[in-house]
Amino acid sequence: MSAAGLEVGTQPVTTPRTGRQRFTPAQWAMVVAGAIAVVSLLRIVTGAEDIDSSGALSAAVGLAVPIALAGLGGLWSERAGVVNIGLEGMMILGTWFGAFFAIHAGAWMGIVGAIVGGVLGGLIHAVATVIFGVDHIVSGVALNIIGLGAAKYLAARFFSGLKGGGPTQSPPLPNLPTITIPGLSDALGTIEKKQWFFVSDVASVLRALCTDVSVLTILAVLLFIGTYWVLWRTAFGLRLRSCGESPVAAETLGVNVIRYKFLAVLISGGLAGLGGGYLSLVAANIYRDGQTGGRGFIGLAAMIFGNWRPGGLLAGSGLFGYTDALQLRGGGETVHAFLLLFAIILLAIGVWQIVKRHNPVQGGIAIVVGVLTGLWYALTETVPAELTGMTPYVTTLLVLAFASQRLRMPAADGQVYRKGEAS
Amino acid sequence: MRHTIKVAAVMSAAALALAACGDSGGTSSGGGSTSSAGAKKTIKVGMAYDVGGRGDQSFNDSAAAGLDKAKSELGVEVKEAAAVNGENEAAREERLQQLVDAGYTHIVAVGFAYAKSVGKAAKDNPDAHFAIVDDASADSKGPNVDQITFAENEGSFIVGAAAALKSKAGNIGFVGGVNTPLIKKFEAGYVAGAKAVNKDIKIQIKYLTQPPDFSGFADPAKGKTAAEGMYQSGADVVYHAAGGSGGGVFTAAKAANAMAIGVDSDQALTAPADVKDVIITSMIKKVDVGVFDFIKSATEGKELSGNKVYDLKSGGVDYSTTGGKIDDIKAKLDDYKKQIIDGKITVPTTP
Repeated sequence: MSAAGLEVGTQPVTTPRTGRQRFTPAQWAMVVAGAIAVVSLLRIVTGAEDIDSSGALSAAVGLAVPIALAGLGGLWSERAGVVNIGLEGMMILGTWFGAFFAIHAGAWMGIVGAIVGGVLGGLIHAVATVIFGVDHIVSGVALNIIGLGAAKYLAARFFSGLKGGGPTQSPPLPNLPTITIPGLSDALGTIEKKQWFFVSDVASVLRALCTDVSVLTILAVLLFIGTYWVLWRTAFGLRLRSCGESPVAAETLGVNVIRYKFLAVLISGGLAGLGGGYLSLVAANIYRDGQTGGRGFIGLAAMIFGNWRPGGLLAGSGLFGYTDALQLRGGGETVHAFLLLFAIILLAIGVWQIVKRHNPVQGGIAIVVGVLTGLWYALTETVPAELTGMTPYVTTLLVLAFASQRLRMPAADGQVYRKGEAS
Repeated sequence: MRHTIKVAAVMSAAALALAACGDSGGTSSGGGSTSSAGAKKTIKVGMAYDVGGRGDQSFNDSAAAGLDKAKSELGVEVKEAAAVNGENEAAREERLQQLVDAGYTHIVAVGFAYAKSVGKAAKDNPDAHFAIVDDASADSKGPNVDQITFAENEGSFIVGAAAALKSKAGNIGFVGGVNTPLIKKFEAGYVAGAKAVNKDIKIQIKYLTQPPDFSGFADPAKGKTAAEGMYQSGADVVYHAAGGSGGGVFTAAKAANAMAIGVDSDQALTAPADVKDVIITSMIKKVDVGVFDFIKSATEGKELSGNKVYDLKSGGVDYSTTGGKIDDIKAKLDDYKKQIIDGKITVPTTP
């Protein structure tokens, strides 16, 4: 059923999976439990209570969602073969349109507005790259400048006269509802305060997931599941991905490549816009000039390191959000405790690379970096403020670089395709 | 291929045009006739804002207030231009030069980021007069440059004392926008003030970004996250020197049902209504006075140059009492203020 588009009367060829084994749900649960145990141990050893407090985890979710949504936007576009470096510009449009709609039509319409803003950005990119065959990077860069300029102009034009607004910021925006499970949240909070090994940590994770969760966060999670299902489990998704792998082959099989690519870029814009909307509607409750701060690019990077897959992207943006939350909340001391965890992760990756993957070079480097980080932890008391800001970038880069193997982008990603090339 | 280039060219042109649209603040001519004292010289003032621009309800707005006052009271003609986050040195030089080229005789550059470009523009245009806010370095020094600086450490000392007096937990916080020497001056004063009241007080300090990333002045989401962390680990008063990110600090204070301290303007007046009641006081930095002095003196034919420090003594920095939340400790704060003015307390400028 899933490969309906490409089965042409022959036996489907089953390629043996090399090296990559699938985890069963039980195994995943073990992995999560193991991770919590390690962090719990770390908390007790270093005394950094904030390392997995429910507050820190909620903040991590808040910081990860915009990046993840931007990355998801990038995923749609690049899976259809269009490089989307204009995510940042689409996000900026999302922040402004989200704020504008929220002010004039209420918080829920703000979500719609953010998507509309992003889709407008996507439309420009789609027209330029898919219809006119402009180089994807050129169009993307132009879009970032357009997004920035347009939002600045629109903010100056529409927010200046409003009470509490100005040319660079909107009035405060109406709140989107957040969901808290009443009794459970407090009960888990009590357990969390006991600071028991493992139990308190599990409680803090659960508490973060059931306290003040924005509806937009839930929407983002649903979008991730939906994306995975649509792109990898439906004929539509297969056709869309075939446009990114081999548009010529797709067209010979009757796929309307131009239409699929166009649609993918529009969806991409909508998702990036929603990521921007999250920033203005949920994270800040206000539109501010320049509030995206390069998150679109980080989302793009998370998607690439996540090997153009939703799971990898989610892991990358989650890691980034978590480390960003730690350094923003705890500063030097928490980051210092985190060094130990980081060293352990790198050592584990190194051993795994050597023993399981027979990849001594990469594993060796990971172990050396891990040992150096461990020494850094042992010999210092805190991390200087000048370096804490780098934590999310360095951690995400190193962990994903060492953990992700054989990144493979869609084969025709970034190539301009013109209709009829197949003939 | 030619087609591609053509479309790309059109796109880039459109992009530049739009970016330019966003950049220009809009010219507004202040009443052509100078009604007051006919002897006064009519001058044209160009103002280049820092990142955030007019409407940040903080630092830039304070400068804008000085300009507005000059426009209505002195009848000067003004033009405004705002900076873009992440722009390079050349863009700032270009902005100042454009104002000069457009016939503006007195240029006010708001923010230390302009130091080098003011120095260069002042050298290139010896006939024009410049003022720079928050910089007294050799970079911007010149015979036609008025360097307006403030004793932020002194004002921060007072609000630091207020935070320590108001804190029940003995735990307070400081959120700095970007880790620069200027913001460290706020931190130094704040810490000294808090320690003067309670030498065992716990002070949590966080800078949102490191230079050259200046987004820490315009990222409320980060301000909120940082302040949330401080409140959750026991702080009950947080002071921010983070420009536009400060809104996030107030939101976090509101959610935690705690207190916050504003900066630059009297933020209990300018902040959104729903968070006003968490702001117990603000460290006021009268950028408007500095800007107005420069323009006023120019209309009187006396061009200011060199470094002028606006401190507690001259009323250039102060604390606000809007909302009446610190009325109970006002006497103590005024005592500290007096001691600083009399020179009995010397406030450090670096932490």
